[in-house]
Amino acid sequence: MDSLVTFLRLTLLSMVPFVLAAQGTMLGGRTGVFNVAQEGIMLVGASLGFIGSYLAGGSTLVGIAAAVLVGGIFGLALAYFTTTLKMNQFVIGLSLLFIGTGLSTLIPKLVIGVTLSQPLIPTLQDLPIPLLSQIPFLGTVLFSHNILVYFAIVLSIGLWYFLFRTQLGLELRSVGENPNAADSLGINTSKHRYVTAILGGMLIGLAGAYLPMVYTGTFTEGMVKGRGWLTIALTFFAGWSPLPVLYGSLFFAGIEVASYRFQAGGIAIPYQYLLMVPYLATILVMMFTFRKTRVPGFLGNNYDREKRSL
Amino acid sequence: MEKEAILELRNIRKVFDKNVALDSVSFSLYPGEIHGLLGGNGAGKTTLMNVLYGLYRRDDGDINFHGQKLNIQGPKDAITHGIGMVHQHFLQIGSYTVLENIVLGTDVSHPVTMKLSAEAQKIIDLGNRFRLPVDPNAVVDTLPVGTRQKVEILKALYRGVEVLILDEPTTNLTPQEVDDLFESLRVIVNEGLSIVFITHKLREVLHVCDRITVLREGRNITSLTRAEASEEIFVRAMVGDQMKIEGSVYFSHGSMANTAVDESATPALEMHDVGLKTKEGISRLAGLNFQIRQGELFGVAGVAGNGQRELAECVTGVVIPTEGKILMKGQDVTDVPVCELLKDWISYIPEDRLHDGFLPKANVAQNLILGYHRQEPYCEGSFIKWDTVYDKVRGYIGEYKIKTNGPEDPGGNLSGGNIQRVMIARAFSMNSHLMVAHNPTRGLDIPSMDFVYNKMLERKETGASTLLISEDLDELLLICDRIAVLYRGQIVGILARKDFDKYVIGRLMSGIQAEETADLRAAS
Amino acid sequence: MTIVRKLVPYVIAIIASFAAAGIFIALTGANVFQAYETILFTSFRTPNGFVQTLLKFIPLTLQALAFTIPLTAGKFNMGGEGQMIVGAIAASVVGILGADLPAVILLPLVVLAGVAAGAIWGFIPAWLLYKFNINEILTSMLLNFVSFQIIDLVATGSLRDPVAGHPTTVQIGQGGFLPMLIKNPPLNAGLILALLVAAGVYLYTTRTTGGYELVATGANPRAAAVFGINVKRMFVFSIVLAGAIAGLSGVIEVAGVQHRLIVGLQHNFLVLGVIIALISRGNNLAVPFVAFFIAILEIGASAMQRTMNVPIEMVFIVEALVLLFVLLSDVFRRR
Repeated sequence: MDSLVTFLRLTLLSMVPFVLAAQGTMLGGRTGVFNVAQEGIMLVGASLGFIGSYLAGGSTLVGIAAAVLVGGIFGLALAYFTTTLKMNQFVIGLSLLFIGTGLSTLIPKLVIGVTLSQPLIPTLQDLPIPLLSQIPFLGTVLFSHNILVYFAIVLSIGLWYFLFRTQLGLELRSVGENPNAADSLGINTSKHRYVTAILGGMLIGLAGAYLPMVYTGTFTEGMVKGRGWLTIALTFFAGWSPLPVLYGSLFFAGIEVASYRFQAGGIAIPYQYLLMVPYLATILVMMFTFRKTRVPGFLGNNYDREKRSL
Repeated sequence: MEKEAILELRNIRKVFDKNVALDSVSFSLYPGEIHGLLGGNGAGKTTLMNVLYGLYRRDDGDINFHGQKLNIQGPKDAITHGIGMVHQHFLQIGSYTVLENIVLGTDVSHPVTMKLSAEAQKIIDLGNRFRLPVDPNAVVDTLPVGTRQKVEILKALYRGVEVLILDEPTTNLTPQEVDDLFESLRVIVNEGLSIVFITHKLREVLHVCDRITVLREGRNITSLTRAEASEEIFVRAMVGDQMKIEGSVYFSHGSMANTAVDESATPALEMHDVGLKTKEGISRLAGLNFQIRQGELFGVAGVAGNGQRELAECVTGVVIPTEGKILMKGQDVTDVPVCELLKDWISYIPEDRLHDGFLPKANVAQNLILGYHRQEPYCEGSFIKWDTVYDKVRGYIGEYKIKTNGPEDPGGNLSGGNIQRVMIARAFSMNSHLMVAHNPTRGLDIPSMDFVYNKMLERKETGASTLLISEDLDELLLICDRIAVLYRGQIVGILARKDFDKYVIGRLMSGIQAEETADLRAAS
Repeated sequence: MTIVRKLVPYVIAIIASFAAAGIFIALTGANVFQAYETILFTSFRTPNGFVQTLLKFIPLTLQALAFTIPLTAGKFNMGGEGQMIVGAIAASVVGILGADLPAVILLPLVVLAGVAAGAIWGFIPAWLLYKFNINEILTSMLLNFVSFQIIDLVATGSLRDPVAGHPTTVQIGQGGFLPMLIKNPPLNAGLILALLVAAGVYLYTTRTTGGYELVATGANPRAAAVFGINVKRMFVFSIVLAGAIAGLSGVIEVAGVQHRLIVGLQHNFLVLGVIIALISRGNNLAVPFVAFFIAILEIGASAMQRTMNVPIEMVFIVEALVLLFVLLSDVFRRR
């Protein structure tokens, strides 16, 4: 029973980076901007989140602000190169990925210098919700987490309502489905793409900052470990919808937690096998779901009003 | 005409890269009229109206509306001023409902709950008033073309437009639906709106328009009222002085003599109970039985999306039918893939030139040998003889009047019409017993259409056959020996030339297997 | 003349990125011009520097080709790293287990094993694409992370060199060593293999019917399929071939340079390979030249970190910026 509580609690805790990054990816995709730089943006978010907090004397808020800001800048760059300059989204995404990866290790070296042991920053405090956290079982699993866990859940539900129950959501989705149609009705396609790409970048940056701020207390090279790529897969099989993204994140987090728990449990198989599990499981899930999922009709394409339909 | 024009376009100029699409074009629209904008493909009709609607930025010229100069920066400005446009390719979100498509971009009564009953009622009322009935809650993807067009018109009416632009609105409609559309247009102008009607079909213009403006090669040629109009004037205006109208197929009204077909020879193509099902088990084609004789020009009519593409792909071997047999000259070719059939047996002009026929990222030469790259004289063993290819390609560029900088010009630089010329040059460059041509003249100007028709008629003389699948019924009536009508993947009728009747075919196209059709066939 | 005009954007891109990086270098307090000099000329100062550059050039060229070949067919192979790693693993396992075999047998076996392993690692995403239509970018990338665990497993398992501090296997048999072109500083015959592969790939894509089909597939897969090209087979073929070439780069690292399997041998080759491929705009003829340029920068970067304490990532940022500026030049040409 206790181990189940711990497992579920940790799953919720580990779900956050997946939720944030995947919602960010989903949001951009809904207007047709397909971000593939998650791994890089998360890395630079983790790096700057750590550095920001470190420089501000352990201020979590400054760290988060730094990560969100840099994520937003990457989102802005993606929007500018693809929407304004109409460059290939995948190639630009890769370039940003590389730049983000490079910056993530460069910045700590410049700020802190090369040291044997990196300094530590304080991790996020748990924020038990009064009364609710007293409920046996559920109180521990659901209601005594750090603030970003709650934020991730509220964000997912909020995004769902916004996209599918408001006029603005209807307009926003139309840009990702058929920008020709949206444009012909006077909807500002570029504005929508910029806004979602930037907000998406911010969420992805925040997802990266979660790693040092909750897991490790410090930044290490390549600490995102493919979570950015897993996020893309996750967004695809969640059908680019906010609520399935939330459930899917639980699944991913569950696998991640399980593989670490097994490792700690001292089971007699080399740990390397367990560490392969998330990637292999993802490929396996893709085999069964990839064909059925729906993607926004214009995903990954750039809209040029004056390009004549030949 | 004492009335004052409500809308005037003066000296509009538009340049794409270095191509002048509109050269000082002027146009005026009076209240309550249906104004035909006539011209062949590439004349600049759509470009002009896209400029008015704000989709294209004009390089020069003025737009006056109600006597005031308008500065239209985008569709939003056009809509605000009461100008609406229905594009030839419907601009709809397939996964949205009719209601969502129509209210999209307008301010709804409940923007944060999206309770849209008031809006739905308004759409129903508009539909009744203008004879455009639609179900607001239907998902657009599930609707037939005719209904989707009603949605497009309602979209404009819902926004309270004064001027409605319709771009080639009769494409893909049956003759009956065309009549219904024209009736609705009359109701609309009787309510005080004005309509610009873009078309390349002279007969439609004469049928429905009050005034007519003709464009050619980005210039205006003439503007006349219907009373002043005679067909000859328009024909000359549309094609210019360089084309001989007397000898042309396009303007012959199908009166040219068709050479007889040898009925005794083995048919070029025999379809025996051919059917095609998707992996999910949905039937795309069923029970196709027909023959194309040697030297025959066999037409297939139908509203787009009724199995034309599947038929073309089954015959060419791009897909293998799931049922039945296909014979060519008596030989079973059911399972023979397209790469084999392209050797002497078939040539193919696919419908969707950009997706199915063209390599925008490859050069003109690479495009012209696609499918023939493993054949003489283009290759030797595993190597491609580029010198030979370039020599040949230079010849095709001249013969088919492809406007390009040469064989190494990237395909992406070509205009739509020139891409179509590449498709045509490729299909005619090698001998074939059967040519499958799907909408081969789409995007071509009138002289080029005429060129293609002549080329197809020439094939008859050598005993080569052609399967012409077209959404342009007039084109089929013009040159085919027989026309089959495809409806929901089935042939619902085959008519010989002497029985050609637009309305009979139209009824078949809309799936009405009227008794009278059978009667008519029995009588003949 | 046309070549000169084509080179102009590259030159501008390089100057612009160096200028941008100069600002960062200045911020670290280092002498900017000395840093530039170190980056650009370390390769040419000493024979050792030049050989080091060539040794970088080999895997970079092969990794870039492992990206451009599928790119010609319109597919993105992000798995060059994993394919290199499994190639290296297979080569070392064969090289260690067959340590007693003579060179005439062992060397071909080592090379073949590595190339085959890379091809198989490439075949997995290719097959998933062929069979389930799963995006190859994701699967090939995820397989890299799997390969990191496999190499760790092998290098810490029964073949481990107990003396080494870092996870490393014991040495492969002498018979599995690639011959040396120069003894000191050591330059192995992998250079010739890489150049042969580059030339072969170029001839294949430009002169042969198969290469034409690859190009047509990349230009528009739907149209290519309608006109009789089996595009799915071209996809699979291109990714498997890429895997084999990436596998070869792993073989050369093991049999030519290290003579053992070392965790982390893939360095940053995947990312650099992709950058080279994209700077070359997928043109196979340009790949070796761009790869050589990047190799110079990489060698210069290490020297700069050693002698001036300027972090090596600085040069990586320069490389990414060169790519971005080269891509940008397309936009300006369009206008």
